[in-house]
Amino acid sequence: MRVAFVGKGGAGKSAIAGVLARLLARGGEDVLAVDSDPMPGLSVSLGLGVVDAAIPADAVTEQADGEPGPRFRLRQGLTATAALDRYALPAPDGVRFLQFGKARASGAPLMRSQWAFRQILDGLPSESPTIIGDLPGGTRQPFFGWAGYADTVIVVVPPTSAGLLSARRLAKLATTDAAPRRLVAVVSQARDDGDAERVRQRTGLDVLGSVPWDDQVLTAERDGHSVLDVAPDSPVVAAVTELGDRLAAHTHTAQAALADSRGGP
Amino acid sequence: MKLAVVGKGGVGKTTTAAVLARTLARGGAPVVALDCDTNPNLGISLGIGDDETERLIGLRQSLDDGTQEHAPSWNSLVDVFGSDAPDGVRLAVVSAIDKPEPGCPCCGLSPEQLLRTVGFDEQTVIADFEAGTGTLTRLEEGAVDVVLLVVLPTAKSVEVARRAAELVAEKRLGRLVVLGNQVRDEADRALITAAFGDADVVCVPYDERIAEADRHGLAAFDVAPDADGVRAIAALAGTLTAPA
Repeated sequence: MRVAFVGKGGAGKSAIAGVLARLLARGGEDVLAVDSDPMPGLSVSLGLGVVDAAIPADAVTEQADGEPGPRFRLRQGLTATAALDRYALPAPDGVRFLQFGKARASGAPLMRSQWAFRQILDGLPSESPTIIGDLPGGTRQPFFGWAGYADTVIVVVPPTSAGLLSARRLAKLATTDAAPRRLVAVVSQARDDGDAERVRQRTGLDVLGSVPWDDQVLTAERDGHSVLDVAPDSPVVAAVTELGDRLAAHTHTAQAALADSRGGP
Repeated sequence: MKLAVVGKGGVGKTTTAAVLARTLARGGAPVVALDCDTNPNLGISLGIGDDETERLIGLRQSLDDGTQEHAPSWNSLVDVFGSDAPDGVRLAVVSAIDKPEPGCPCCGLSPEQLLRTVGFDEQTVIADFEAGTGTLTRLEEGAVDVVLLVVLPTAKSVEVARRAAELVAEKRLGRLVVLGNQVRDEADRALITAAFGDADVVCVPYDERIAEADRHGLAAFDVAPDADGVRAIAALAGTLTAPA
């Protein structure tokens, strides 16, 4: 399973991704949580707090002028799997966490770290680990292919006008070169039963789940904790559990179909 | 007077920018509201509606596929990619596009260059920035007069705002005002004042009526002008534009 979360800023992408990653890990999967936002987010939602650690610039080497392929590649001898072992950080429940680094006023530029991040994700075997990814809010990164590692891209949609309009733009990912195999919506901060239908109608996307509004998330967010740690009985956790089950069911169906087509005459 | 509204995604930058723009315009100032976000939603909060907001975004993006004519000057940029919002606010979407033509006045300038180079004369400019600190890292001293940093009482938002405040100080980007938004209780207020106690901090209370306006795609300034949250932001308008 490889999932990436996109959506308007503040939609709840990190909170949902963080809980999902940990729940899947508790279920026994090898889970890699990845964050391509230059601002802090997913590490807090995983329960790691603010983490600035960057993939070091020397993880990649620059190609000589005129050589084909990407401008930077993982340095000689460093496979994607080895790089992951080296640069991913341990997070609760056995999740591993990878980010390229975080921007600071007078910090080092992150360009090489960003290349390393993308090269690692490009180089990992498709069957494992399970990847749960979090993109920055807005439309820019998704349209530049930053969710390219994911087979399922989830647009997180709060039922506000701006949230819906952002989701309508993100739904157009399906028609671009960066189109994922599967593009679906999840309602966040849902207030009533009509929200899922509104999201479906306005975005044209299938709605895979609905995560309710819960004040307990506000308290967790204020204190910089995962809702999974401070309010495990929250309806938010129940909704993300259900989302994880649906994603897993779909992955198994897709794998079975693939095995059938390979084994067929 | 040029004011930039910055902060993490979803903290209320756009709502704040819209209430400020409408308040200042109603008070008689010539206001240009610049939507600098590549995911622009300012039109909704200004009160021009979903459809017109989406039309403006479409126009801007049509530059990339070559189906939209470029504007030949800054003034015509505001005409071509803009719309009249209530109270005389002129809205223009000036967000960066994927394939700008170098030197073109309507797309060759990034929002941060636009703010630095265009003479706005007597106009009051309210610029709604993209989430995060990207635009601030490229902004130069003198491009804006005031940076209004919107922060929610959450660990993530405070952390993003800290980084933004560092940039404003280090690059001397103007007067910094911190707006603590959606403050519900003393613990919320304490989180924000502990992080930004040295700065000019204004707290705006959480207001369900603003959330309700957002759900319906209406301007809180129109449907809930007397809401505590709207009034707190409106009260800030005069102090932000007063000469330092």
